[in-house]
Amino acid sequence: MNTLSASHHQPLFPRGPGLGLKTLVLLAACAGLMAAELDGERIKSPREWLALALTPVVWLTELPTRVGGLAEHFDSRERLLRENATLRNQQLQLEAQLRTYAALETENRRIRSLLDASARLTDRVAVADIIAANQDPYRQQITLNKGERDGVYRGQAIVDATGVLGQIVQVHPTTSVGLLVTDPDHGIPVEINRTGLQAIALGRGGGGLRLPFLPANAEIQIGDLIVSSSLGGRFPAGYPVARVESVQHTPGGHFKEAFAVPAAKVGQGRQALLVWSERAPIDPAQAGEASAAEQQQAPAPPPASPAPTAPGP
Amino acid sequence: MTKTPHASFWSSLLLALFLQLVQLPDAIAAARPLWLPLMLVFWALADPRLPTLLAAFMLGIVLDVLLNTLMGQHAAGFLLLVYFVSRLRGVFVLFPLWQSTLALIPAWTGYCLLMAVIDNLALHRADPWLRWLPALSTTLFWPLVFTVMDSRRRRRSE
Repeated sequence: MNTLSASHHQPLFPRGPGLGLKTLVLLAACAGLMAAELDGERIKSPREWLALALTPVVWLTELPTRVGGLAEHFDSRERLLRENATLRNQQLQLEAQLRTYAALETENRRIRSLLDASARLTDRVAVADIIAANQDPYRQQITLNKGERDGVYRGQAIVDATGVLGQIVQVHPTTSVGLLVTDPDHGIPVEINRTGLQAIALGRGGGGLRLPFLPANAEIQIGDLIVSSSLGGRFPAGYPVARVESVQHTPGGHFKEAFAVPAAKVGQGRQALLVWSERAPIDPAQAGEASAAEQQQAPAPPPASPAPTAPGP
Repeated sequence: MTKTPHASFWSSLLLALFLQLVQLPDAIAAARPLWLPLMLVFWALADPRLPTLLAAFMLGIVLDVLLNTLMGQHAAGFLLLVYFVSRLRGVFVLFPLWQSTLALIPAWTGYCLLMAVIDNLALHRADPWLRWLPALSTTLFWPLVFTVMDSRRRRRSE
């Protein structure tokens, strides 16, 4: 059997530009687009229009998963009752815990005010639905149903109930794209909760994180909790990021490397929390002036004792 | 001379786009065959009068937007694939199915290589071994896709 039927030949007298020329022109267009994007910023508005126009396609590709999820609607009554009971118990327990936390928080606030440190303890948050996951296996991205109109901005932190999930990399009018912490392009400043050691956690692509270039004598061990640090000003401080799974030190090497599993349920939940935590970007010129002013003041520091406003116990 | 099958051309490409994007379990997602290249190559071989090149460009840009890759990355890959296959169409005419399956292996591999190179340029690293899985699965799917599409086309033209 031949691959082709004989009825389809090339036209004897082709019209219009030849195949090579057409390919060349279109390839040049591709190369131009790629070069423009490699330079740094992504081409924003055409992407937005196309993404908006392609929403039906995305909806269609998500359909099989949704139909699979329909089975949950026909759940048995007993299971729902059981689930309800366990959730009620859980809520009671959590509420009890919350009471102690509330006490701790007021105590913490009092101590902080004594230390003259102003830290926001609560961040503004909003719940967003994960409407799509990127199907490119080399990229770990999610699409959320909140966009520019809801005040989402590029670089915003995404968390879930158990830890940091990632950050927003692209904002469309009604949706936004988030990069997960496990993506190889993602890095997050962290600190080891036990020792306060600062490090950077990079994604490994396969669902884990790694902390490269730790000092060879760094105090880190399996099971350590890694929390986000506020260095970089992008993520809220103190959210769990991962738990150390293994620590590797090549004999003779200068650095240790640690591997960790993310604390957030990456690729499991349907909801995520968007956190508004970024501080206003500091103007470099202003920052310079401020530091200069500080240095001038430094020689004569008034012993600004933390004004004992709070009644000492 | 039969009519150019425009309707089945575009609908099959849309189906390929759907298959390319539909959710698969994580374990086999990396081995997803390259559905769009498969379909484009089939049409480039089947009928040179169809605007396969233009379709390759448009669907490439669409895929770039949906997968949030570098704009033009997939489009360039599709264009080169369709161009080379169209140029070598005269040779493919003579091949039986098993031979064309083998002859297309370099095409799929080249496509995967190009994607890897562009990803590297964009400083996006990925597992180098998983990169080649689509080439394998696409080779395995080619006889199936070709047989199904060709029988449909023959029935249509009779």
